[in-house]
Amino acid sequence: MKTFEEKWTAWLDGRLSDKELAEFEASLPDKAAAEAEKTEAKKLGALLKRELGAQALLNEEFFNHQIRERIARESTGESRKRGVEVSPWWTIRRLLWTGTASLAVFLVMAIFVMRDKDPVEQSQYLTQILNARVDPVVSPNATISMFETTEDRVTVLWTEGLQSLPSDYAAK
Amino acid sequence: MARSLVLFVAFALVLSTATELRGAEMVWSGLVIAENVEQPQPIPPELTRIEQPLKHLFGYNQFQVIGQSRKPLKTGQEDWLATSKFFGLHVNARGESEAGYVLNLKLYKEKELLLETDAKLSRRSPLVIKGPQVGSGQLLLVLVVQ
Repeated sequence: MKTFEEKWTAWLDGRLSDKELAEFEASLPDKAAAEAEKTEAKKLGALLKRELGAQALLNEEFFNHQIRERIARESTGESRKRGVEVSPWWTIRRLLWTGTASLAVFLVMAIFVMRDKDPVEQSQYLTQILNARVDPVVSPNATISMFETTEDRVTVLWTEGLQSLPSDYAAK
Repeated sequence: MARSLVLFVAFALVLSTATELRGAEMVWSGLVIAENVEQPQPIPPELTRIEQPLKHLFGYNQFQVIGQSRKPLKTGQEDWLATSKFFGLHVNARGESEAGYVLNLKLYKEKELLLETDAKLSRRSPLVIKGPQVGSGQLLLVLVVQ
């Protein structure tokens, strides 16, 4: 046995059979007021349906948004994973770069050091004449000069004006 | 790292050994008469190393040794004499440095001092001194670390 409210709801929704409809409408005290209320209920239903439909669309968008976010999170996670996987390659690359840079710095420093040292080493390779003198009484016009032939690394003490001697002095 | 260290130590040992082996070095001192002759004699073996600079610098084609001395240097304090009939070259070593030997050289004509010089003789660089004119030639003093 349906209650009045159930019958009323079914009447508003148009779900009463012909017999039930006739009985229910006959039982209504003010059919015109009921019809007006039914019309309002339909309007309200249409409105709710429309609004609920829009709400459903919003939910879908929200759902899509959630999915997108999740995809984005998963993508980030994957790229992080990828980052972890390639980290050895980056380490080797960094090592190579560091090694190359260190070698370059070493070469630059070595060149500077060699440049600084070079004159000293050159002078060490060559014989140096510290001083020279001739007897001014024996050779009053004698002059002395000195030079080095860097190609042959020969150091020469060159005298001019020494007393000339006869060829007999060439004897062994 | 450890391998590099071992290599470095080995290299240092080789270097130090080479330095020790180099300890006693021979210094050749020669009195040389340079002349221009029609048929020059071959250059003495002691001068082969500096034949070209000798010829280029002094313009002679023959070089003959008239007196020489070969002295091993151990302490760097040795002294010696290279003599010919009339000339004497007295060499007095006054110490050894990384670059070579500090030498005092005196050239005598009989007992007369003609020339005196102090030089730092390098192991890789011969010393040539132009002495007096002798006849048509020239007296040269040559010192070489052999």
